[in-house]
Amino acid sequence: MSEDNPEEAWSPLPPPHDEEPSPKPKRGSMVLGILLGATALYALYFGTTAGIAPDEGYKTDLAGPAALIPIGAYLAVAGALAIWPRTSRWGAGLLFGLGIFILLGGGICVMALSQMSSRI
Amino acid sequence: MRGHCYTLLMIGLPFAGDGLVHASLLGLGILAALLFYAYEKRRRGLSDPRLWPIAGFALAFGAIGSRLLTWDVSRQVSLADWWGNGDRSILAGLVGAWLGVHLGKRLTGYRESTGDLLAPAVALALAIGRVGCLLTELPGTPTGGGWGISLTPGQAAVLGGPAGVGLHPSFAYEIVFHVAALALMWRYRDRLPRPGDLFICYVTSYALFRFGVEFVRGNEVLWLGMSRPQWFLLAVLPLLFRRMLRVFGEPLRPELKGTAA
Repeated sequence: MSEDNPEEAWSPLPPPHDEEPSPKPKRGSMVLGILLGATALYALYFGTTAGIAPDEGYKTDLAGPAALIPIGAYLAVAGALAIWPRTSRWGAGLLFGLGIFILLGGGICVMALSQMSSRI
Repeated sequence: MRGHCYTLLMIGLPFAGDGLVHASLLGLGILAALLFYAYEKRRRGLSDPRLWPIAGFALAFGAIGSRLLTWDVSRQVSLADWWGNGDRSILAGLVGAWLGVHLGKRLTGYRESTGDLLAPAVALALAIGRVGCLLTELPGTPTGGGWGISLTPGQAAVLGGPAGVGLHPSFAYEIVFHVAALALMWRYRDRLPRPGDLFICYVTSYALFRFGVEFVRGNEVLWLGMSRPQWFLLAVLPLLFRRMLRVFGEPLRPELKGTAA
């Protein structure tokens, strides 16, 4: 009986039957999703950027609200792929790619730093 | 002699304003966190394929949150402009990641707690990512002594700090915190009463630490001598303390031997 065995009662590692059954076997490559997703976003945003002026910011076709549309569309597609079991690893990779693009591609602190570096 | 010793304690900022160095370390932090997440998932014997999409939602929404959740409507800047040129925040990123995890769990139907799995990976990512901040950004407020990080006049003009005086290495303080938190989480990872408690302990201790370190960070003061992050933390800390009371209301689990991979 489990109550006679405190070690078992305290076990931090859930026994296999406690975990919910896996919906489907994993398919798709997460690493490929990351690489493709981040590369596509970099290509889109830097491909449409005509130049970076220290005092005027980025000169890009994706200015204003248009800058958010590709991100929203990408997020919707990646999210849909991630929650569908057959493509969940692809979707997870695309979501990672989005996060990496936003954080590294002019993300936290980097926008200010890029402007600073041009003036140092 | 004393002044000479102080001079030895002044160090420069080697990569001031270098976005490449900053981004590289941030990327390294994310990579390390993903690898650690994979390791910890395996160690706990969790093979559910939904855990990767949930981590993906956490990172994507964390990144989006770091940009959008700092939106200050009082500055009359559109959301789109804020996205490109507004403030960034680790705290806002953590809130976004928390929302992303909940959304991911709801969409995939995963009901178990994931906080304990994510918390050490987040600490590792922040410890490495903050090295990038330490090497490139305005480090903090003046120490008032002859020690700290010293900026050249050129760096001071760009970063907006004083030149030639010692500045608090606030990012170094934060790195030490995250490394210590990671070590403690590693030590107690399987001993807290309920799933999710490790995450609560980490987030609460970081909130407390961050509230304190903001006094030497040099962020813009919003009101009553406190910065925007401090006011946010003041609102959040009571909720976290309430959760912490629940964690420490029960005894720790006995340490198990030979159960972890």
